[in-house]
Amino acid sequence: MAFALHAPRVNNNDDIVQVIAFRVGVGDFVKQGDIILDVETDKAIVEVAAENEGYVLKLMCAVDDKVAVGGILLWQGESADEPVPEAPVAVAAEGGGNARPTAKARALLKELGLDAAALPASGERLTLADVEAYMAAHGIQRRDHAPAATVSARESLPDVPGELRDLNAEERGMLLTVSWHRDHAAATYLEVEYDPKDWEAHAAAYASENKLMLSPLLPLLAYRYVQLVKASPRLNATVVNGKRFQYQPVNLGFTVQAGETLYLTVVRDADTLDTKPFIEALGEVQRHALQRKLSREETTGATIAFSSMARWNVSRHIPILPPYCSLMIAHAAPKGSGRAVLGASYDHRVLSGFDVARLLMELAKPPV
Amino acid sequence: MNLDRDAIKAAVRAKVIELAKNLGMDASDIGDDDLIPATGYVDSAAILELVVWYEDAYQMPLKQEEINIDNLGSINSMTDFVLKRKG
Repeated sequence: MAFALHAPRVNNNDDIVQVIAFRVGVGDFVKQGDIILDVETDKAIVEVAAENEGYVLKLMCAVDDKVAVGGILLWQGESADEPVPEAPVAVAAEGGGNARPTAKARALLKELGLDAAALPASGERLTLADVEAYMAAHGIQRRDHAPAATVSARESLPDVPGELRDLNAEERGMLLTVSWHRDHAAATYLEVEYDPKDWEAHAAAYASENKLMLSPLLPLLAYRYVQLVKASPRLNATVVNGKRFQYQPVNLGFTVQAGETLYLTVVRDADTLDTKPFIEALGEVQRHALQRKLSREETTGATIAFSSMARWNVSRHIPILPPYCSLMIAHAAPKGSGRAVLGASYDHRVLSGFDVARLLMELAKPPV
Repeated sequence: MNLDRDAIKAAVRAKVIELAKNLGMDASDIGDDDLIPATGYVDSAAILELVVWYEDAYQMPLKQEEINIDNLGSINSMTDFVLKRKG
């Protein structure tokens, strides 16, 4: 049965790739990992490798064609004479028609596996902005489609012996996050110092009252953070396609280090929970992270985030903003210093320093 | 899985000592009735690791509300809780 090779996503911003050269022809047998063609985006030229071995049955585009990400570049098969399925032409084209997705929207829908009919359109056509707004509202993030071998002929390797290897899923996730922070957010950082005594006393009293095994200090800080954001919805927003996107739920991202892997676990609808259910929900996702049993719901859709490195005795850390997240609090409490720090990375497109400083100052005090 | 009381206590103790060692602490003198969170040998993240290990080692998924001082606060209480659930 024939199978397709799709146009890869090379970076977050480019929904189209241009074919530069084919290195194979119809009838050729290719092994998994063989370079099949070169494609170009605004930022890079990359080599596209075969995902599976097989014969090249049909090229679906030509040199210089522009192909939507996710579009079919060519068909392969286990034998050289297999029939090729009827399939949409991969070449990106602007088409007309009412209530149909635009080419970019269609490519993104395909990448995400979404049905256009399920998404509301803001105008006569379903646009890329419509899809991105839907993604933001539903906590859907794009997968990183960087192909296995992405070093182009024009990108030089370091002049030091070494070996290229693929990134694992967590590394790809981190690359996606760092790329969004770099390419989209106007990331800024500020911090306040505070005396941690009041918070420590508050947490100790809560732990004693509820006979807790784990210190509730960080969960209580995180809960207070959620409540403050709930009271100031302006803090719970992002920018999509040049427009402010106001989140409805407060989904809290909370970093958990599990071995060498750093997870951003997510407590969804955190603003609807009381203190105890929130602490239990946060404990649950933390355990799932350590067990490597996080569900998709528990790792996506953070609208705000919190991270503490108090355990590692650092005096400051400046977080990277996850995609579509405009605010991430960084907690530090150097041992023996008698002081603690609440910092925040924030997207200056959405929030001002005043917004964030006021939040941090309020967060530095436990609830009365 | 060895459900002998002494074996459970030894396993829990060894895990606490291992987690403390990761934090640069020597917990070898921890008592069977010492309140683990109050010893200062392990922090909350390490206690969470202890709980996850405990669930896995004794094939005993815990409800969040079961993770409390009464059930898991000391080496003895962790041992008793396994025996009670598995008994």
